[in-house]
Amino acid sequence: MSTTIKYPSPSKAVVELRGVEKRFAAFTALRRMDLTIREGEFFTLLGPSGCGKTTTLRLIAGFELPSEGQIMIAGQDVSNVPTHLRPVHTVFQNYALFPHMTVLDNVAFPLTVRRITKAERLERARAALDLVQMDAFGDRKPSQLSGGQQQRVALARALVNEPQVLLLDEPLGALDLKLRKEMQAELKAMQRRLGITFVFVTHDQEEALSMSDRIALMKGGEIVQLDTPTGLYDRPANAYVADFIGETNMIPARVVSCDADATLVEAMGTRLRVSGYHGQAAGAEVQMAIRPERVSDEIAEPSNCAEGVLADIEFIGTDLRMAYRMTDGSRVVMRRQNSGRAAPQLGETRRLGFRQQDLRLFSR
Amino acid sequence: MSANGKAPNWFVRHVVYGAAGWITLLTYLFMLLPIVVLIAFAFNAGKSTVVWTGFSFKWFEKVISNRNIIDALEVSLIVAVASAAISTAIGAVAAVAITRRSFPGRDALGAALAAPLVLPEIVLGVALLVFMSFVGMTLGYTTMIIGHVLVSIPFATLIVRAAASSLDPRLENAAADLGANEWQTFRMVTLPQLMPAIFTSFILSATLSFDNLVMSTFTSGVGTTTLPLRIYSMLKLGITPEINALGALMVLANVTILLLVMGRYLPLILKTNRR
Repeated sequence: MSTTIKYPSPSKAVVELRGVEKRFAAFTALRRMDLTIREGEFFTLLGPSGCGKTTTLRLIAGFELPSEGQIMIAGQDVSNVPTHLRPVHTVFQNYALFPHMTVLDNVAFPLTVRRITKAERLERARAALDLVQMDAFGDRKPSQLSGGQQQRVALARALVNEPQVLLLDEPLGALDLKLRKEMQAELKAMQRRLGITFVFVTHDQEEALSMSDRIALMKGGEIVQLDTPTGLYDRPANAYVADFIGETNMIPARVVSCDADATLVEAMGTRLRVSGYHGQAAGAEVQMAIRPERVSDEIAEPSNCAEGVLADIEFIGTDLRMAYRMTDGSRVVMRRQNSGRAAPQLGETRRLGFRQQDLRLFSR
Repeated sequence: MSANGKAPNWFVRHVVYGAAGWITLLTYLFMLLPIVVLIAFAFNAGKSTVVWTGFSFKWFEKVISNRNIIDALEVSLIVAVASAAISTAIGAVAAVAITRRSFPGRDALGAALAAPLVLPEIVLGVALLVFMSFVGMTLGYTTMIIGHVLVSIPFATLIVRAAASSLDPRLENAAADLGANEWQTFRMVTLPQLMPAIFTSFILSATLSFDNLVMSTFTSGVGTTTLPLRIYSMLKLGITPEINALGALMVLANVTILLLVMGRYLPLILKTNRR
């Protein structure tokens, strides 16, 4: 297995979906999807259950055939190529290890079916087990392993044949939190090292943000936004994205006026400036979004603030999470690092500052 | 336990529980005592199967040196192994097809394979005999093996079907994903997981064939007298401890097979089905 570090080459597409649609009897799981996954990237399909992310993965793997459209892998149209002839391998959520085979035979399976000589396949299977630090468990049966260990074996089995694309279907879903965090870091490091394209399916937005090069956020069989983790978090395309990714305050607001560099809105009983032109006409009812960690109770910008009463305070160890009731009744959550500074008292009135570039407007 | 949750009263404790215990004991005696008596009298020195006159191995010697019995045993074993192999093979293929594929007439095929289970064996036997004389087959090994396959095939199919339907289809998906074609998937993933069930179905089919009397009566020809047929004809000439000795040997053989199967394969079967 190669250990040279490869970085994503931004130009080369390895998986392409062109107008792919998937219908089951009365239900459309995917609507006219166009998607390009680049060589060597860690690509995540994120969304709630039923959004079509697993269907997309199954279409790439070949477990489902598209009702319409084309699927290209490494420049070849594989729309009608059966699963076993596609240059992709999958790590399944339930691992799907063969219970009657030893760990080593499981890992060697992709090589065995390709009629690779015994000596070579054992050597490569051992190397793959070594890669996931499971080399000491080759003679065990899968039932003698813990969930995390089975996960590693499934990964080794999917990697042993060096596929062009590795598909991962919520592979960490069954692990406990601590193990999941460990595996996240390890998967990411491994992907970097091997330079293999990973297509990762998850419903866990934190997992998606921390691991991915790019994320496609899906809803109802469509991609809502395709962007880098920072892009998705800082520049959500609409209220759904802002709400799905991380925590967001959604505050009702009304547009007063707008010009080329800023929009003036009325919200929380005062007037605030929002950077940029948002295309809304004066008088339009909108939603104003701001991340809790971007709200400040140390007023840096006295022009853009609003008054609120501290209604609730929550201690999360590293952070303090405070809920303010604003003068118009809307609720604003702010998050501040637990720096040791004294926290305000419940019922205390504070002025909260909003930097104009942190505020975003979405139509209602 | 009495309805109000208190300890059971005297009547329940002594009479009801006592009666239940005795009934259980009697049931076991009723089932096992005849076999114990049969085995005991196999060692009787005299010619009687009711009056004990002394200990001896002579009836066992007689069984072993009886040419007719040894020939019948050979016939029985050939028919048992051949018919079990055929019905297990057909049963396994049919079970995999029924649980894994969808094709027109799938349910009908499943029902047809289970049909001999509910038809009286004597009807099957008569029907088969009539059919065989119609097509002009000579009674012998072939006809008898066909008859025994007919008897054991529902059991063989049911056992493998139960195992096949509890297999995880995701494992077959995984095999395809990792590059295995359909035949490789079947040979390397599906079949090995069905082996315990296939083995069980073979043993059961062979046992059914070895014990069979009704179907054998209709399908045996000259020179293919099975052991049960031989025993039945020996009974007509009077019961001697020789039959007891033969019975004791058959019990020994059956128990040995049962213990082997249970010891080696039952844990495997339980493990495969557990998820």
